[in-house]
Amino acid sequence: LSDRSAARWGEVELRRIAEGALRAVGTDGQQAEALIIARTGSLTRFASAAIHQNVSSREAELRLRVARGTRVAIVTTDRLDDEGIRRAAATANDLVARAPEDPRFGGIPAPRPIADAPSAYSERTAEAAPLDRARAAKVICDAARAKGLSAAGFVATNTQELAVASTLGTWAYSPQTTAEAQLAAIGDEGSAYAQRVSHDLDRLDVAGVAAEAVSKALAAQRPREMEPGDHEVVLEPYAVYDIVAFLSGQLTGQAVEEGRSFVGGRMGERVTGPVTLMDDPFDPDGMPRAFDFEGQPSDRVTLIEHGTAQAVVYDSGTAHRTGNANTGHALPPGAGQPSAPMHRRLEAGTATREELIRSVSRGLLVTRFYYTRWVHQLRTIVTGMTRDGTFAIIDGEIAYPVKNFRFTQSYHEALGGVRGIGNELMLLVPAEQFGIQATAARVPVLHLASFSFTGATRF
Amino acid sequence: VLGSVERDLGLRALDTARSRGASYADVRFVRRDTEDALVKNGRLDSVDRGDSFGFGVRAIADGAWGFAASAVMTAAEMDRVAALAVEIARASAITKRSDAALAPVAPAVATYETPVVKDPFAMTFEDRVDLLVRAEAGLRSQRGVRTTRARYSIWREDKLFLSTEGADIAQRLIEVGGGIAAEATGEGELQIRSYPDGLRYQNGGGWEVLEQWDLAAHAPRVAEEAVALLTAKQCPHDVTTSLILAGNQLSLQCHESCGHPIELDRALGSEASFAGTSFLLPKMLGSFRYGSDQVNIRIDSTSPGGLGTFGFDDEGVPASEGWAVKDGIFTSYLMSRETAAALGTRSNATMRADGWARLPLIRMTNVSVMPGTAGTLDDLIADTDDGILMDTNRSWSIDDRRFNFQFGTEIGWEIKNGKKGAMLRNPTYTGITPEFWGSCDAVCSPSEWVMWGTPNCGKGQPGQVGHTGHGAAPARFRNVRTGVIR
Repeated sequence: LSDRSAARWGEVELRRIAEGALRAVGTDGQQAEALIIARTGSLTRFASAAIHQNVSSREAELRLRVARGTRVAIVTTDRLDDEGIRRAAATANDLVARAPEDPRFGGIPAPRPIADAPSAYSERTAEAAPLDRARAAKVICDAARAKGLSAAGFVATNTQELAVASTLGTWAYSPQTTAEAQLAAIGDEGSAYAQRVSHDLDRLDVAGVAAEAVSKALAAQRPREMEPGDHEVVLEPYAVYDIVAFLSGQLTGQAVEEGRSFVGGRMGERVTGPVTLMDDPFDPDGMPRAFDFEGQPSDRVTLIEHGTAQAVVYDSGTAHRTGNANTGHALPPGAGQPSAPMHRRLEAGTATREELIRSVSRGLLVTRFYYTRWVHQLRTIVTGMTRDGTFAIIDGEIAYPVKNFRFTQSYHEALGGVRGIGNELMLLVPAEQFGIQATAARVPVLHLASFSFTGATRF
Repeated sequence: VLGSVERDLGLRALDTARSRGASYADVRFVRRDTEDALVKNGRLDSVDRGDSFGFGVRAIADGAWGFAASAVMTAAEMDRVAALAVEIARASAITKRSDAALAPVAPAVATYETPVVKDPFAMTFEDRVDLLVRAEAGLRSQRGVRTTRARYSIWREDKLFLSTEGADIAQRLIEVGGGIAAEATGEGELQIRSYPDGLRYQNGGGWEVLEQWDLAAHAPRVAEEAVALLTAKQCPHDVTTSLILAGNQLSLQCHESCGHPIELDRALGSEASFAGTSFLLPKMLGSFRYGSDQVNIRIDSTSPGGLGTFGFDDEGVPASEGWAVKDGIFTSYLMSRETAAALGTRSNATMRADGWARLPLIRMTNVSVMPGTAGTLDDLIADTDDGILMDTNRSWSIDDRRFNFQFGTEIGWEIKNGKKGAMLRNPTYTGITPEFWGSCDAVCSPSEWVMWGTPNCGKGQPGQVGHTGHGAAPARFRNVRTGVIR
């Protein structure tokens, strides 16, 4: 492999590998698609205000989808030398010959023009050294220790490349980088959390993540007990992200097809309060990428507009099966669902965070949700915990910290009670899924009329 | 099985790490072969075969840790990755507060293989997928079912571990899993019923692991229950009652509320920002009443069939067995060499990594609730005047110190006067861990005990997926809050 020492494989090398794989499959009456996810991920993790896990790995995976008529097979390998590719192709050919027919398979999608998207790649991030991350971690740890707090979290730099080729002529390639810092500042009797993400390590707000978590952690000490129940809430973006992630997972063609989506049969109807949720692959402040994991152009889609269900997203297979247009939101094979909104933006409102808090007479400020899981998908009921900074709001002021709650709440019904939307959006990315940070969301602070807290814990 | 080529490359990596200043280093080669197949709604939805091979080097230099990994198997790449691991370790040292120290272990030269009756990788694809096709067809025999799924997963990992202390350990681990599930929709409801445990059931062993459940024979019942749940009685809201958990649900209850809090890295704060910490503090060892005297929970990486069964962990520590909770008292943590040293003891072999590209972490091995003397599930129901039986997990959540949990199951049944009564839909229960286990007054006998598995346990940053084993039999808990949703 050429250029082994760099974090980036490069378009030339990935195209060589992908096209080599397609050639190895052959063209004997069949179609093939080569998807490559390549990633150099480096993460410096700290706890008790010292680095304890510090890792870097260089990974690249080829997913080869072969279709012969309506028979389909997928082979995945990270052995990208000539022998590994030949083996993968031979395995795929063997499997596809044995696979049962799938009469509903619509074929590997033909290429379509892909528009330009803003770049989400920074050479500075790709070239970050271990000492760059360690020094940033030290800044964060020192800030916490200076205030008598412990620090746990990480500083990470990631370079990821997505490439798709097919025997029908598809070629799509996109490199991205992320620099990320997360911090839980922890005192003897309370903690607080902050997170920052940027494409560019030089623009990663390391001081900001430390300042936010440390100042909030100082205020979070000695939490009081408070009765669970239905409370008015102001949710920080970290908590709002969770709501957007759960709901957007239901805004897919397959979820509607299988009767699992809260918008099923309700297109054009009001499903939430006056919020607008977009999927915008071209958002320059998000993680833009103009195509999906099938190399198909990704459309900008308005999912919910001022509370009204407008659309869901599709991959080629679900679109074919259900007679809809492919919006270009395919996930990779094996992702657990075939498509998802990946570039989500919950549109900003007009109020500052402070104004939203001031508008609450009795309520809660929630920093973050934790361990959230479906209780009932169709009703979008989710349970989870609050974590790392939960406060009582009294007469428009943050009054005192409270012990964490369990909630059991329908997320889309919670959005039915939107009372205010923050005027700033925060970019947040989840941990890598299927070998890549495939999704992102930009979300504001939200003020909701009611949230159902069904239990409490001891801290 | 990995051999001399990898060994030579690995020894070179260790030499490079040493020459760059590492006081300790190990290298792991991991080759993983997998195949997942899903039959859905009468068609083969996907067959995905995976093949992964690479290596990772872990090093201590200047008293701190570094780790680097790659899939490129050349001598030059061994040198680059080993040197990078040392460079990363030196960078880590700029924040260190004490030197990394490891509890001693005798360096082993050994091999281990999962015993299998029927090697799933030696079968034809047609034979494997036929089991799914037959089972899934049985699900579609019931009117009203909307989505049907049958899935299998076969998994094989060859590993070679070498350390600067002289360890040289080759292992082959094989697992098989799968199941069937039917979804029904209507009446504003979406209901799912599965067998034997969602689609996530998995064990160590060969194809016999899946065959033993006879999926096709159970498919009509599973589908019938999914449809019946649409019109079943809603689990009564906010009722405190006696709760019997089926073994598959008790296994996850154990995983979440015992397995995770006994991870010593959590208790010492290593996971504080992500997975969380633990309410079980080191000062509680040997004295804290975790549960009633009916509660006996074992840590055992030698249990046949467990997903946490192996010869050696990924630090080269031999498999072991011991008590996590004995007669209700918290007795031991899951430990690594480094965390064990912090307590002045030795590792009990729990460090495992998700493939070659990830650092070993403390992971549950087989953490099992040992059987009691309450007889069969029918005996336990007959012994219960009033309560609810809940079966097969659908929802799970617990706080970051592992106190407050809430679970939902696919199905429940009322128990009235010692008899199983009406079916209940959307059953849920919630509690506080030591109070809940403290309310356990009966665990069924060995005849009801099954080794269940959790092949999807997330932990660590970057994220890792762990495979953990949990033996369990049905058990009864008193005064549990049930019916969280209306």
